[in-house]
Amino acid sequence: MKKTGFLYDERYLLHDTGPYHPETPDRLIAVHMGLDKTGLLSRLIPLKAVYPDMKWIEAVHDTEYIQKFETICCSGISAFECEDNQICCQTFGIAKLAVGGILDVARRIMEGELDNAFCAVRPPGHHAEVDKAMGFCYFNNVAIAARYLQQQWGLKRIGIVDFDVHHGNGTQHIFEQDPTVFYYSIHEHPSFAFPGTGRAFEKGAGEGVGYTRNYPVLPGQGDKEYLDVFQNDFLPLFTEFAPEFVIISTGFDAHVDDDMSDMCVTTQGFSDIMNIIVNVANTHSGGRMMSVLEGGYSLRRLPELVANHVEILLNS
Amino acid sequence: MFVSRSMTQKVISIGPEASAIKAKNLMSEHHIRHIPVVDPEKRLIGVITDRDLRSVFPAPFYKGEEESGAVDEFKKLKIKDVMTRDPVSLTPYDTIQDALLLIQKMRVGALPVVDKDGKLTGIISVRDLLRAFINVLGIGTPGTLLCILVEEKVGQLKKIVDAITEENISFGSILVARYWDKDKRAVFPYLLTQNVSKIKKKLENMGYTLLNPMDWYMDQLPKND
Repeated sequence: MKKTGFLYDERYLLHDTGPYHPETPDRLIAVHMGLDKTGLLSRLIPLKAVYPDMKWIEAVHDTEYIQKFETICCSGISAFECEDNQICCQTFGIAKLAVGGILDVARRIMEGELDNAFCAVRPPGHHAEVDKAMGFCYFNNVAIAARYLQQQWGLKRIGIVDFDVHHGNGTQHIFEQDPTVFYYSIHEHPSFAFPGTGRAFEKGAGEGVGYTRNYPVLPGQGDKEYLDVFQNDFLPLFTEFAPEFVIISTGFDAHVDDDMSDMCVTTQGFSDIMNIIVNVANTHSGGRMMSVLEGGYSLRRLPELVANHVEILLNS
Repeated sequence: MFVSRSMTQKVISIGPEASAIKAKNLMSEHHIRHIPVVDPEKRLIGVITDRDLRSVFPAPFYKGEEESGAVDEFKKLKIKDVMTRDPVSLTPYDTIQDALLLIQKMRVGALPVVDKDGKLTGIISVRDLLRAFINVLGIGTPGTLLCILVEEKVGQLKKIVDAITEENISFGSILVARYWDKDKRAVFPYLLTQNVSKIKKKLENMGYTLLNPMDWYMDQLPKND
């Protein structure tokens, strides 16, 4: 059994998105319940959030943007930059705690205290651009973690795999010129789903060409197509890249019962792709991997999805 | 929606007495396929395209795999020997709809734009029109496309727009496919939000059919027009 960390903090529930928003605190309550009911919680190493050194957030985001985010939160305005991004006065602090918690987990993995971890954070991050909030995301959690691993720990190759049903535009744009961070994303085809980026011809820029890989999947597809993509596209690419650390942008919204997408992946399908990712991390990264929650809105399915996901990390 | 706003103004032109090889080099240097031909007063007298050049140069020469023996002969070829004379053109105050229809009708890739004195002021290509329509479709802005099947009767669009507006969602664009099925239209609102599950349910409760994305079909014009 692996030493698997579980980042969860009641303060993550304080990011209040109002009454009609899919990205609710109930999602994390469902996650926690799923792990508790299955008895997995007692096998995990529980971790609480800490505040980060702001220099790591500034390693990805413009300081002007960070200040604006803080000011808007403090002012009591209920949306930041777009109606999608519902906030409350605590959101800025909670977004910092999401980053801080994740960086603390990354440190523990690098120091060998943990083998791997699942970070049940809110708000999510993969849509957040250097200077723009988008799609319920404010700070790009995984991008900040990747920069931290590069700069603090000197890692040369970091692999980010993103199976949220929406393309992680922010993560892609932050690293598209960087050949040391491979961004792999599978998502619903951008002509049918938010945010309208992540087309197959987006392959990186400058020195980073070839280190961004987008695999858009057509509406209605499910386990068979996802498994095929992970086995025949993701696996060879990550095997060749041989990342020293794998970060997973974990979104469960491609699930057939999730009404945020038109995809038909089943609970078993998510386990199958997670097994492939874990094998890559075990082979090339010494098992060093960190799964960070992005989307996934079916409160009925989240408990089982997360339980299976975490069990794979534990048994890897 | 005028051609003057969408056309390329810094247009590369050539004189009728220049060598055809010069046109070939200009095309590869600037990644273009159409060069307007003008007289010394900049009046449009013709157009030369990569297709014109391919029809007079052998393929190996055109591709740059020169055969020394033949080059001298090709150097003698002048633009005026190869160009299309009196080409169809547009004026800056024709609209981009005019440009679209004319380009489709003439089966060309670009049209020169001339002022009232017949002087060249720009060129509008399929590429320029694509850019304009990418903007109109709102593809560059994050959002989600829906497809709603509606009865072909007055007031349908208003109900849809009102229902979406009530949810505080902004529109990137709204397209209507004129003919879907008998007495049906397909409406494609592009919504500037990730958060579409609630509005989808609301529209369904209002009695609208949301089409399966795999059945979406915008191009309702007869293909062999």
